[in-house]
Amino acid sequence: MSAHELSLRSAVNDLYCDHHGWLSGWLRKRLNNSFDAADLAQDTFVRVIKARNALEIREPRPYLSMIAKGLLVDLFRRRSLEQSYLEALGAMPEWQQPSLEDQAILLQALMEIDRLLQGLGAKVKQTFILSQFDGLTYPQIAERLNISVRTVNNHMAKAMEHCCLMQIQLQLA
Amino acid sequence: MSLSTAELAAISVAARWYARLQSGVATDGDRREWHAWLNADPAHRQAWQRMTAVGEQIASVPGALASPALRGADRSRRQVLRSVVMLASAGSLGWLGWRSETTQNLFADLRTAVGERREIRLADGSSLLLNTDTSVNLRFDGRQRVLELLWGEILVSTAVDLSQRPFKVVTAHGEVLALGTRFIVQSQNQGAEVAVLEKAVEVSAHGTDRKVRLEAGQRLNFNARELGPVGRTDASTGAWQQGSIIAIDRPLAELLADLSRYRTGVLRCDPRIADLKVSGAFPIDNTDRALAALESGFSLRVSRYSRYWVTVSL
Repeated sequence: MSAHELSLRSAVNDLYCDHHGWLSGWLRKRLNNSFDAADLAQDTFVRVIKARNALEIREPRPYLSMIAKGLLVDLFRRRSLEQSYLEALGAMPEWQQPSLEDQAILLQALMEIDRLLQGLGAKVKQTFILSQFDGLTYPQIAERLNISVRTVNNHMAKAMEHCCLMQIQLQLA
Repeated sequence: MSLSTAELAAISVAARWYARLQSGVATDGDRREWHAWLNADPAHRQAWQRMTAVGEQIASVPGALASPALRGADRSRRQVLRSVVMLASAGSLGWLGWRSETTQNLFADLRTAVGERREIRLADGSSLLLNTDTSVNLRFDGRQRVLELLWGEILVSTAVDLSQRPFKVVTAHGEVLALGTRFIVQSQNQGAEVAVLEKAVEVSAHGTDRKVRLEAGQRLNFNARELGPVGRTDASTGAWQQGSIIAIDRPLAELLADLSRYRTGVLRCDPRIADLKVSGAFPIDNTDRALAALESGFSLRVSRYSRYWVTVSL
């Protein structure tokens, strides 16, 4: 094992020993759930290990809480989508419901779509869903949302451009 | 790769075309104009392909499902923001997942992934079988042979050592000295367990001076503070070697906790049936089959919210 590897290893260990307790507490306060908090604290350190930058971290607590916040938001996004997906499944007639295996695949696909749409304004997103998932024409959307057909068209162009750039970005990541 | 200004501009124009053609009221004239634009420049064609890739991804989920799910998620996200309570806890069901990904374990000498089993022959001729999600450090020197079990479960078959060095398994809770033998040690946060298959071992907890000799067919649980009572091994002991968990009148929650060691993701048990007694052999190399067996054999409901999130309830 190289000297750099050794010092990296001990830096991660120090970081873990000094701040794991604090981070878990910080997360528990936000989650009201010590199990999720323990998981996210662990995930935070796994990120640090994978980034291999433990030696460069000067301000550990702001750094760790920044990573943890990102993970919190991700967890929250996933849970809320999962929940409403289940409700949507439950509302379908039984004979129409996909198999359990397909349900899992669909949820995964839906999460990816959700990420593409992340960051779009509420109006633009609503327009996009009405067009692409509800199958409404632009004049129908215009009437429903009380906006002009031209605005619907603009919203759709904006949404497609956004999704396309997100898709490229996610593929690179 | 980052996108050039020209590419970004082409994407922007392609998005406008895509929007125009999706209106539901596009005319033949619109399509002719689009076609002319598409063929005017290879860059246009490339940008258009990107648009259709987005279209394909969107079409991967039926609209009847995607529309209410995406709307519902937005609604609940807004509510959460309003009430300032970041993340209400997910619910009343208990967690059964556990993780080994501490920094120490990630850097261990020997490691198995979740669901993996691996046999390793050591330099002294002893053999070591690592069960799922296990981390071990090897500390062999001129005086002794030490296996540091950081997390997980191992089956050790010791070989006779020419220089008669003692063979020990050390865990966070205490140590197990082999007396020419085959035995299993499991260790996690709460405590450790040792079971002897052949000959004998001597067990000691870090925090006490007491030592207990365990013979073949005996097992005990221990932690840093104390050694538990000596019990008998049974058909379930070490069944993982053959790829199964054998349960004999075991509380469901315990069995699920054991199964979850062999799969990634979350396996939750409805607390109302946590104490339900179950028996049977459950495959660990295909835990979905084990869950299916529970479902049909004990009339339980296994709900898969995703590949990584499974709940067992009545």
